[in-house]
Amino acid sequence: MQPLRYLLLLLPLLAPLAHAESRQPTHSYTLDNGLKVIIREDHRAPVVVSQVWYKVGGADEPPGQTGLSHALEHMMFKGSKHLEPGQASHLLNSLGASENAMTNRDYTAYYQMLSRDQLPVALEMEAERMHLLTLPEDEFVKEIEVIKEERRMRVDDNPNGLAYERFLAQAYTANPYRQPVIGWMHDIERMGIEDLRAWYQQHYAPGNAVLVIVGDVYPETVKPLVERYFGAVPAGSAPLPRAPLELPAPGERSMTLHLDLQLPTLLMGFNVPSLNTASEAWEVHALRLLSAVLDGGYSARLSSRLERGEAIATSVGSGYDAFTRGDTLFILSGIPNEARAVDLPQLEDAIWQQIDELKQTPPSAEELSRVQAQVVAGLVYAQDSIMAQADRIGTLEVVGLPWQLVDEDSAALQAITPEQVSAVARKYLTRERYTRSYNLPLAEEAQP
Amino acid sequence: MSPRSPFSALRWLIALLVLGGMLFLLVERAPEQSTPEPVSVPSEAPAATGTASEVFGEPLPALQSLEELDLDTPPARRGLDLQHWQTSQGTPVYYMQADELPMLDVQILFAAGASRDGELPGLAGFTNAMLNEGTGNLDAGDIAAGFERLGAQFSNSSHRDMGLLGLRTLTASDKLEPALSLFAQILAKPSFPEASLQRIREQMQAGLRYARQRPGSQASEALWSSLYAGHPYGIPPDGTEESINAITRADLQTFQQTYYSAGNAVIALVGAVGRQRAEQLAQHLADAMPQGEAAPRTPAPQPVSASTQHIDFASNQTHVLIAQQGISRDDPDYAALYLGNQILGGGGFGSRLVNEIREQRGLAYSPRSTFSAMQAPGPFYISIQTRADQAEQALDVANQVLDEFILTGPTETELSRAKQQMLGEFPLSTASNGAIVSQLGAIGFYGLPLNYMQLFLDRVQALTAEDIRDAFARHLPASERLIITVGPPQPEPEPEPEPEQDDTESETDGDSATQPPEDENT
Repeated sequence: MQPLRYLLLLLPLLAPLAHAESRQPTHSYTLDNGLKVIIREDHRAPVVVSQVWYKVGGADEPPGQTGLSHALEHMMFKGSKHLEPGQASHLLNSLGASENAMTNRDYTAYYQMLSRDQLPVALEMEAERMHLLTLPEDEFVKEIEVIKEERRMRVDDNPNGLAYERFLAQAYTANPYRQPVIGWMHDIERMGIEDLRAWYQQHYAPGNAVLVIVGDVYPETVKPLVERYFGAVPAGSAPLPRAPLELPAPGERSMTLHLDLQLPTLLMGFNVPSLNTASEAWEVHALRLLSAVLDGGYSARLSSRLERGEAIATSVGSGYDAFTRGDTLFILSGIPNEARAVDLPQLEDAIWQQIDELKQTPPSAEELSRVQAQVVAGLVYAQDSIMAQADRIGTLEVVGLPWQLVDEDSAALQAITPEQVSAVARKYLTRERYTRSYNLPLAEEAQP
Repeated sequence: MSPRSPFSALRWLIALLVLGGMLFLLVERAPEQSTPEPVSVPSEAPAATGTASEVFGEPLPALQSLEELDLDTPPARRGLDLQHWQTSQGTPVYYMQADELPMLDVQILFAAGASRDGELPGLAGFTNAMLNEGTGNLDAGDIAAGFERLGAQFSNSSHRDMGLLGLRTLTASDKLEPALSLFAQILAKPSFPEASLQRIREQMQAGLRYARQRPGSQASEALWSSLYAGHPYGIPPDGTEESINAITRADLQTFQQTYYSAGNAVIALVGAVGRQRAEQLAQHLADAMPQGEAAPRTPAPQPVSASTQHIDFASNQTHVLIAQQGISRDDPDYAALYLGNQILGGGGFGSRLVNEIREQRGLAYSPRSTFSAMQAPGPFYISIQTRADQAEQALDVANQVLDEFILTGPTETELSRAKQQMLGEFPLSTASNGAIVSQLGAIGFYGLPLNYMQLFLDRVQALTAEDIRDAFARHLPASERLIITVGPPQPEPEPEPEPEQDDTESETDGDSATQPPEDENT
């Protein structure tokens, strides 16, 4: 189990950002074929991370074809013009490189971490599969079975995964983020290799991708390598990624699920903008601070008041990811403390009380400075990991935000006043933006 | 070393609820045990020679970058000036100065894991979770706010061998001094406040219930209780309903005084502080601890005989485990088994299990094999999750792969490739301060020599295929192999399932190579 991820996942606000006064020169340019390239130097260790990010994910998939992007990600390891299925992974492994890929609602990303001398191997392989993927049908037939196993493991046999998938399907109305990235099982079952070939043709082009390189490299040696391998990829035509948009006030939605759970869980979500879709950037930074005031560490309000003070919750948290292509959700979730006979409606009321209090009374300067201290320290800690640095840069660029924001983020957060935090709570944490899900063990009744 | 909330099993659940399910990784990186095994490049060792295709043992694809690859020169790596001394109490300290970033990582490892629970399962975990709940006149909120306003990250976790406390802080003196002072107070006088006691108790009980909805937890629990019946590793780290209710404040205090002591600790430090300052700092921390003795080494377990058990669980997949007792961290065969396991099923794509079960047959998403080398011999296991009607087939394939590997060992090609992989991995495993502090912690805790990384690599490069085959044959006799399945009822009659107990799974510190992965499917 990996509880450490909790803070990292739940606090995008505190997510590592590169240091504003960083001694790490960063070079950004675009190849003739449209590939955006960002190179950040970090010379502490003779290693390098190379990442290719494609602007295609679950949100782009037509109904009936959910899971396409994820399935294509799997097939990207199944051979290209000069590489047999699995061979690229095999060779990279033999070199001691670590590699992986991830698919998300906004993007699909591939990365390698290796010794700096091996960077050309990663670049050449990645460039080749950008335009010369073979997509053999016999491999697809096997791989789609692996994907079904993946879905069974992550979702179908995991009641929390199921609850979350159903929740998203309700919490988004006009917004394709309602679709599961891994795909509905009935869509996975009817997917064919031709669907993937079409998807690949449509979305895998240099103009629809971002290359991020972070590590012990210098532009004068890396730029020629990038040109040598990626310069040869034909431009093709890149689709224009559309930002998923939501209705401003979809209306209050509530659902109750009975699942094979041992502990009842509560999910609460509010439809809110992201940094990409907000008309006022400050509102998004204020929402990030709001989430941190509620749940930015063990001293934050939800932990202090609901887990400790009144012990209403066994566990409670909030999350808001501002760095998405489209309108997103501000989420709160919790497990009521059954040892003290607390039920889901009581936990929901207690969380609403915390929200309402913040609407009326701004957080204290001391609370905000505590959050701020963590952000500033996080800038330093983030530099310990070149992977974390590359992730931040790549995430920003792939959703359509400039990478330079990593160096401006601390200032943006520092500019937010306590009153602004209350203002966004009043504006966005409202009933007409609200979705609530009670997830109950099979035998339990929802209402007291 | 990331921040970690106290008693975080349920916090993890929340993370899953909030943002889980959005990321789908192609292959889970080996469950975040993160840093690859430390290896290093011997100064005068003959490097791998020949062309790339000779090294890889296969015709290479027509890629320019591979033709130009220089495999005669081992990859460059970060210089590591590792240092070691003892405090006046004899607490071993492992240290590396790293001035590039104004930060310091502190990791303290105590032989204070669940294997010390005795008659009260869950005691070690309970104690560890209580350490930052109060000290002197500070409560949990004061402590958390104290660290958070400094931008410092406190972490705590408990496993079978060890209890861990960690701190990551900035080194500006207005940050470093107060953060360390608060850390020292936690070491010195945890107050075990009554209010927290009750709350953590309730959270642990909830954690036990939560584990019952996860087939992977059930499988993991069956593995430990079967392989280590009557042995300290058989104690469920998360406790049982009865034991958690029975644990008193006095029990916690006694455990802390006994095991969280200077005589039972190893301190690892990496960051932007000079040697002299590091010595003062380590001394300051050791002075703060109770002045106790080192705990005795966990004894070796009694061998177990081969058996098969099935646990009914209403899931789509069946979780399959093939398990037996493995080796301790200081076993002379460690290098051979580690390298062999990379080839067998620990090395991701290209390893035999992944190839046969996932690539060739599409039976499972993340089949793997693992040696958890611990203070006493930890488990070796193969884990597979597959659609229930395929479980038997997957089990047969895995058994065949394992039998064949024990019989004939790796091929020369597999061997040279695995050695090359170790050379290449090393620079990655020591690239960050977080990785290095974990490596140092492991070296200290398991009593390995300071130049262990060097020695390990030398050993690995000298291994023959026969060394590996022989080590596997000696350590993994089929007569001691357990088969555990958790999933829908099987058609043919099975032995009575074990009565359900509480889950014994424990979290693995993500950035620490020191921790055995004790969970099959993170």
